[in-house]
Amino acid sequence: MAETGRYLYAIGRGLTPDDLADVAGLQGGRLEVVERHGLTAIVSTVNLDEFGEEGLRRNLEDLAWLEQVARTHDTVVHQASARTATAPLRLATVCLGDDQVRARLDEWREALERTLDRISGRMEWSVKTFAAEAAASVAGPSDPPTGAGAGAAYLKRRKEATTQREDASEAAARLADEIHMLLCGFAVAGRRLPPQDRRLTGHEGTMTLNGAYLVETTSAEKFRTAAKALGEEHPEVRFDVQGPWPPYSFATLDDA
Amino acid sequence: MTEPATAPDQRLEPTREFTGSQIALVDLLDRLLGAGVVLAGDVTISLAGVDLVQVRLHALITSVRADMIEGN
Repeated sequence: MAETGRYLYAIGRGLTPDDLADVAGLQGGRLEVVERHGLTAIVSTVNLDEFGEEGLRRNLEDLAWLEQVARTHDTVVHQASARTATAPLRLATVCLGDDQVRARLDEWREALERTLDRISGRMEWSVKTFAAEAAASVAGPSDPPTGAGAGAAYLKRRKEATTQREDASEAAARLADEIHMLLCGFAVAGRRLPPQDRRLTGHEGTMTLNGAYLVETTSAEKFRTAAKALGEEHPEVRFDVQGPWPPYSFATLDDA
Repeated sequence: MTEPATAPDQRLEPTREFTGSQIALVDLLDRLLGAGVVLAGDVTISLAGVDLVQVRLHALITSVRADMIEGN
């Protein structure tokens, strides 16, 4: 019989197993609730062959595994978020038993309460912007200059092209700063995540903004309208607006 | 009349017109590995000392490359 642990999905207040009846946990496990001082952690039992330290090291390198776990985790978080303010846990947080879960809820009680207060009635929106790649109109290496004059002209052209590219990229960065600032005006909080790797997303152009915004549920339409207006104002930039999502980027515990 | 053949894009989440609340995998991993409540401590047996972002990027890029090689 393999050892088992308790996988933690999210923490909310007053969640009951009935709230999660329609959703299955990882490895088909039943979702359960561990409660302490009104804080409720959503957990399910997992096999430590797969979710122990050694198993995780191996499995996190496996995209299919990672995707399946991330999707299940997200489905549970979505379901709970629809009921009450819910702080999602990082992927692959595993405790050895319910006593350890309760001890953790005890220890982090104040920070958890603050986090839940902060995200209550709010959802996360994602806004990304993409700038067109600055055209690199430089003579390629297959086009070697001949003679001293041609060489100097080539170097001059190359320098000019580089300067133009730098100017364009600085302007794109400034515009992204400005867009982020303006969007923050419609949000309770905003964060800039690192731009994503094109090899993962397949996007065209340069991702100049990967912004996450915590928005009052009641202001969602205003936020969306503002993002749309910015997109119309700046046709040189491609906007990608997604949401509402559970407040993943804003559920980090502050240092108590 | 034949439809022009277009190579299917095998990369992650090429479709962005989806307007529901389904999160693209790369966005989800940005958040599930980079943010979220962190209950650090002795009971969290997962991944002490492992940089998850590195793990993630390594995993994804390796896999995307594998897809591309298979596709060719």
